[in-house]
Amino acid sequence: MSAARTDKGRGLNRLLVPSFGVRMMLPALLLLASLSIFPFLFIVWMSFNEVSPIGGLSFEFVGLENWVNLFADPDVRSSWMISGIYFVATVGLEMILGIAIALLVHEIVWGKNLAISLLLMPMFIAPVIVGLLGRFLVDPTYGLYAWVLKTTDLYTQNILGSQGAALAAVILMDVWEWTPLITIIVLAGLSSMPQEIFEAAMVDGANYWQRLRHMVMPFISGVVIVALLIRSMDAIRFFDIIFITTNGGPADSTKIIPIRLYETAFRFFELGYAAAIGLGMLAFSILIANLFLRILARQGLAR
Amino acid sequence: MTKNSSRRWGGQVVLYGLLALALLWTLVPIAWMVLSSFKPPDDLLSTTPKVIFEPTFQHYQGLFMGANSLWGYVQNSLLAAGISTMISVALACLAGYGLARSHFRGKQHLSFWIISTRMAPIAAVIVPLYLIFRNLALLDSVVGLIIAYLTFNLPFAIWLMNAFFADLPPSLEEAAMVDGATRFQAFWRVALPLVTPGIVTTAILCLIFSWNDYVFARTFSGPESQTIPIAAAQLITQTGIDWGKLTAIGTVVVLPMILVGLAVRRWLVRGLTLGAVKGE
Amino acid sequence: MSAQNIPGAAMGKEGERKAMRPSNGLTRRDFLRITGAGLAGASLFGLAGCGQERGGGVAGGDVWKQFKGTTLQFISENTPPTSAIAANLKPFKDRTGIDVKITQMELGALVEKVALDFGAGEGQYQVIYADPYQVLAPYYQGLAELNTFNEDDSLPSIPKDTGDFIPTQLDAAGKFESEEELYALPYDAPTMIWMYRKDLFEKYGDQMRQDLGFDPTPSDSSTWDQYYQIAKWFNDNANEVKYGTGHQAKQYDSLLCHFSNIPWVYGGDYFENGVEVGRLGSEDPGPALLDQPKALEAAEFYNKLLSIAHPGSTTWDWNGVDEAFRAGELAMTPNWHEFAAGIEASDLSGKVGYARLPTGPARAADMYGGTGIGINSGAPEDEQRAAWLFVVWATSPQTQRMGLFSEEGGGTPTRQSVYEIPKVEQAKKRPSEAPNMLTADAVSKAWEPQNIGLRPKIQQWNECDTIIFTELSKMLAGDKSPEQAMKYAKAGFDRATGAA
Repeated sequence: MSAARTDKGRGLNRLLVPSFGVRMMLPALLLLASLSIFPFLFIVWMSFNEVSPIGGLSFEFVGLENWVNLFADPDVRSSWMISGIYFVATVGLEMILGIAIALLVHEIVWGKNLAISLLLMPMFIAPVIVGLLGRFLVDPTYGLYAWVLKTTDLYTQNILGSQGAALAAVILMDVWEWTPLITIIVLAGLSSMPQEIFEAAMVDGANYWQRLRHMVMPFISGVVIVALLIRSMDAIRFFDIIFITTNGGPADSTKIIPIRLYETAFRFFELGYAAAIGLGMLAFSILIANLFLRILARQGLAR
Repeated sequence: MTKNSSRRWGGQVVLYGLLALALLWTLVPIAWMVLSSFKPPDDLLSTTPKVIFEPTFQHYQGLFMGANSLWGYVQNSLLAAGISTMISVALACLAGYGLARSHFRGKQHLSFWIISTRMAPIAAVIVPLYLIFRNLALLDSVVGLIIAYLTFNLPFAIWLMNAFFADLPPSLEEAAMVDGATRFQAFWRVALPLVTPGIVTTAILCLIFSWNDYVFARTFSGPESQTIPIAAAQLITQTGIDWGKLTAIGTVVVLPMILVGLAVRRWLVRGLTLGAVKGE
Repeated sequence: MSAQNIPGAAMGKEGERKAMRPSNGLTRRDFLRITGAGLAGASLFGLAGCGQERGGGVAGGDVWKQFKGTTLQFISENTPPTSAIAANLKPFKDRTGIDVKITQMELGALVEKVALDFGAGEGQYQVIYADPYQVLAPYYQGLAELNTFNEDDSLPSIPKDTGDFIPTQLDAAGKFESEEELYALPYDAPTMIWMYRKDLFEKYGDQMRQDLGFDPTPSDSSTWDQYYQIAKWFNDNANEVKYGTGHQAKQYDSLLCHFSNIPWVYGGDYFENGVEVGRLGSEDPGPALLDQPKALEAAEFYNKLLSIAHPGSTTWDWNGVDEAFRAGELAMTPNWHEFAAGIEASDLSGKVGYARLPTGPARAADMYGGTGIGINSGAPEDEQRAAWLFVVWATSPQTQRMGLFSEEGGGTPTRQSVYEIPKVEQAKKRPSEAPNMLTADAVSKAWEPQNIGLRPKIQQWNECDTIIFTELSKMLAGDKSPEQAMKYAKAGFDRATGAA
């Protein structure tokens, strides 16, 4: 007899008396709905209007005009492309480095606690501060990293002023900040692995890489997907670092889509068009999340 | 040395070597930041990085003395992040449990809707939220910030707690109910204690995301409710960025976090272990 | 700095004496008792004396205290006058009983909050730092018309009336489209000037004269062409600095501020009738002129200039280039005159000269970057009137003088009378108590109508600004030729203004 079945209720009872599960969920869901449904509908409405903020918001219905522009606008398209590159680079690097560092720390015996605490620090610094710190480090006049690169002749141009280098710099700043998030999640997964299997494998002669490929990776794959999902959700919409360092420049080379959204809304005051861009971003996030969740579900089933 | 142990030695060297690299990558910016916060202004801007200099406390003094002391910002950040996290986690425990123990058609869709509210593009969502806050007189208040942070903490916390609870086998709760406990008591006395590491994990992640927020704070806060990231951004003036104060703020933010991190690390790891595998 | 020493105090006493003459027959002691401020307070508000004429003698004290207990919110950019005022609010609080909360933030954040405030329509911020291009032009309807307050008998009026403000600044920072209506009072006035290493110019003067064939010392007749040649000369011949020139050519407003001077001196402009579009502004400026030969010539010259400039230029806004200049990397740079204070406090103290920007075949042009403060018309009536008190005080001669000499500030005055104060005059020479005054000769000429450089004051300026500085940034990065950049910019402008 499962606890769940007993409280399903019968017929009318079920309609009038919400089940225990529903009652538990209600406060949170009501709060969530009140905070998110109105804004969502509002944004949808805005996307079909030309909205201006003078003397109170004014709406002028324009039908699909904003949406047509969304797909026709070459600037929006180029922002999506840059966002794509930024997304793949940051999330990709963060996953690879995060997993690698987690594996590394997992093997360490002496000083493990200290190492973890130190490695987690970047996560706790606000992205705005990380961005400013980044500017401080790569500034051509007094930046530490700029100086190192210059004196070793590795890179003498100005980092935030050159198109490719600026994008690389902001990617690295993001990676610096968020890799620890992946690390801690994967490390947790690693810590829950039963040691006996590995000992058996080692006795059988399996070396590190073999163990890694055939035993560790499958075990933590679920954790990895969760980490990927958590980070991806934010990688699309966070823009604090780029905002405070290059604000889209030079020559639009770091203008990811959330920056263009902000600019459209609060520099050009085209709130309707901005709403359309925002909904486009939401649609993209939902697609990606769906993809990852489906992979996760398949994982769960396979086990 | 036997062949095995020498290989182990070599392995250890490689291991710690790589660790050193990872630590270097992570810590150099932080170390430079802390160092710089004690440098006199001229040394901060010198073209060759200075490691030896005459330390000064002037940046910290500037931050904490005077009318616009950083304490106010710190308080606001702590209150907004802390209370928002507490509310989110509390409500999420209830909701997560309810969701995990319910089975109905459309459960997946509900689950997905919950987490999708966290994907809202920030700059677009600001406008309607601003109007709501304006009408409810929530602008320039810590309460307003708490509510604003709920918009992303709540869905995230529900999603995570749902995952943690789903991992618990129902048998323990069923046993308690057979013994006469109500459903709620089963939740409160059996399930909840078991997911404590999960609660801690969720709380820490929610804290981090609200602590680090800049755009919401900038839009909804006013003179009375400004948070630390705003303090940092305010150092950008018409005539320059005050690097001294900025590095000081960074240092002030980072150091306590080490303590917090050390204190809860054990719970964090256990928590992420319990829930993360299933995800959902 | 006691009130008695302020030259304005003398005027205040006279003003009071004038106010004593009306028929109500109050003695001086009665008057002082009524105002409750004593001589010091009244002197600091010498303007109270001048304002009395219209406000009525006895009403003087009450006029200022009628909003006692109100709280005002002032939103401003992080600018020197605001820092000075924020540190010296006590006189205002004492005089009026009004609490002023000042929030400073960087300009982008300010524009966002002001937009949201207007959108919500209730006037959370009563006093607004109204950037002419990002706030005044698009939102002039959200700002209260100030002449109505000025002419209202129950409110204090502007000391020395609006005529004391530098005329071009009053137009540029305070008006939109209409000659009569006033939406903001000039508050700060950063203006672009030519900063150069005087010590190096003296050292190499003779050699330069020989090599270049003209006198490189910056003067009213120096041209941008000569600037280019001087910069190149420094690149090739001098070791003390890394480059002859550096610029604020980051993909940002700063690029536009610097670039605009060049088409102007060649006789080109953004729009037809550019001078008027810059001065008063327009809701419909017509098609853009960016593809005309003169604009093109300017873009090509700009490209050429940046190619010999310090490569950091494309990462620098005005702060970045200032830091580089102070670090000794550059021999010259065009930058906002208010950076002089920082320069004179650094290692370069005494080594830097300040002159007007170079000129060109058509005219001289010195980019103006000043702003005024205005009142939110969405706020309740009485809060607007209380805000008027603050606006008058914040732009008064006394406050501007205080700001000029204060530790936090250093903002230069927007009123002509302040420049005539002897102590201010003295500050024009080293050693100076207000280092920004070292640039006074250059900037006061820069503010003359034929010299001042005013960018288009149009409602779509944000978009156009972004378009042109993005296109120029691409040009400097080598992605586009000057011609392509200008053509694309013109198309963008026309799309934005609806002239397409």
